[in-house]
Amino acid sequence: MALEVSLMTFAQGPLLWALVVVALVAVGAVLRARRTNIGLRRQNAELHQQRDVLQRQRDELHVAYAGLTHQHSAELAEVRKDAEEETKAVLKAAVRTLQGLADEQQVVIENAQRKYGDDPGILADLMAIDHANSQFGRRAQGIAVLCGGWLGRRETVASVFDVARSAQGRIRQFDRVRVNGQVNFSVVSRAVEPVAVVLAELLANATNYSAPGAPVEINIQAVPTGVCLIVDDAGLGMGQEEKDRAAALLAPQAAISVSSLGIPPQFGFAVSGLLAARYGFKVSVDSVSPYGGVRAVVLLPDELLTGDVPSPPPVAAEHHDADVAALPRRQAPAPSPTPLFPPVAQSAAAPQPIGPATTSGGLPKRRRKSPVSVVPSTEPGPVRSNEETASRLGAFQRGTRSGRDTTTMEGPEFQ
Amino acid sequence: MTAPGEEQAVNSGFVRSYVITGGRGLPDAEELSLVTLVTIAPERQPPPNPSPEVRAIWDLCSGGYLSVAEVAGHLGQPVGVARLLLNDLAEQGHLMRRKAPPPAQLVDRKILEEVLHGLHVRFG
Repeated sequence: MALEVSLMTFAQGPLLWALVVVALVAVGAVLRARRTNIGLRRQNAELHQQRDVLQRQRDELHVAYAGLTHQHSAELAEVRKDAEEETKAVLKAAVRTLQGLADEQQVVIENAQRKYGDDPGILADLMAIDHANSQFGRRAQGIAVLCGGWLGRRETVASVFDVARSAQGRIRQFDRVRVNGQVNFSVVSRAVEPVAVVLAELLANATNYSAPGAPVEINIQAVPTGVCLIVDDAGLGMGQEEKDRAAALLAPQAAISVSSLGIPPQFGFAVSGLLAARYGFKVSVDSVSPYGGVRAVVLLPDELLTGDVPSPPPVAAEHHDADVAALPRRQAPAPSPTPLFPPVAQSAAAPQPIGPATTSGGLPKRRRKSPVSVVPSTEPGPVRSNEETASRLGAFQRGTRSGRDTTTMEGPEFQ
Repeated sequence: MTAPGEEQAVNSGFVRSYVITGGRGLPDAEELSLVTLVTIAPERQPPPNPSPEVRAIWDLCSGGYLSVAEVAGHLGQPVGVARLLLNDLAEQGHLMRRKAPPPAQLVDRKILEEVLHGLHVRFG
């Protein structure tokens, strides 16, 4: 009874109810947690799935991205190459005009030098202009070479010594350069300009990177495989980095980009490398000169050399005529009665001796003159027509008149 | 790249005149005028390692007297350049010079007319 009561009491006690409620709540919570758990698992699985899908997509995108990057860089390279080529083509065409003009101007200057060569002041000024123009021409040639253009073609072979001297004339500080040694070889006509330009670039480097006033030497030496042109300077030499850069430019693997040469552009080695590769000679700058500076060596192989003696400049004869034509104005007052009664045979032979002896250089040699007689030759002169005689006498009269005119003007110079 | 055939010819002289003079100052025309006659003194040996121009002058002037203007013409160089090279040779004692002949006296017009007349009679 007591137990029942106690049970009743218990059952009716608040504790029991609390337990029941708690139990119910717990069951409910467990059930809900399980449901949630199941839901979360499902969600988790879905997310995993989604993640895998996304990862796959990501990988695909990576691949696509890599492909596009590759394509992009390839296209970019192509565009750059096109742009470079177009730039070079435009530059080449523009520079070709400049090259032509520099050459034309050089000819004009040369003619002026011959024309006014008697006046030391004018000639010195013309030489200064000539010097500036030569450097200008070399620069234009350098740009042309970098743009795949050509230097211009010489018609004749030139001795190795003259090639060295021509190169010397194309740099600013030409008076610091000494050319030593002569060999009996000439450079074939097609290689004359390229070798001169390369040597000029090496000389420009040598003079620019050594103390002002320090001499730069070119030594010409015959070697078993050809001829060496050795340029020695007394500068500070080059560091390993510079040597590597020079070696890379002197043995170019691919076309050289114009934009890679820096500002101001240093294209000496680039030009040298391109020309050496194109014409088949060797340029190296990796040794040390006896003066502690750089020793640059140009090795011309036998294919670019010939034993031919350079023909005398074609201008020589022409300008000789011009000089002679220009002379009478100054020479007219000169005097001697010689022209008045020239023995006929001699006057015909005087300007062009019969069977002219020539010098080793191919120039005509003048013979020692025999004493001029004022006595008219007893031999009968050639038969002339009246018109010819008249015109000759007319010319004689004009000559004496002009002779007298200039005598009064220029006479004192010869007194 | 341009084909070799497209290459332009270069016409300018090859060795510049200021290289031949070595950038030295040019002498005055006083000593060696255009018509001064020069020749290589007899029994002389050319200087060691002469430049091609000096060798050419040596060859040209060994044969007899030649005017400065003619030497320049043969060398294809301006007179001033030839003068400088001749000046060098003269300083080394290799060169003999002969002044230009004095200008002719003014001849009387009457004499010339007589000569002309005589020539007319003889050849005309």
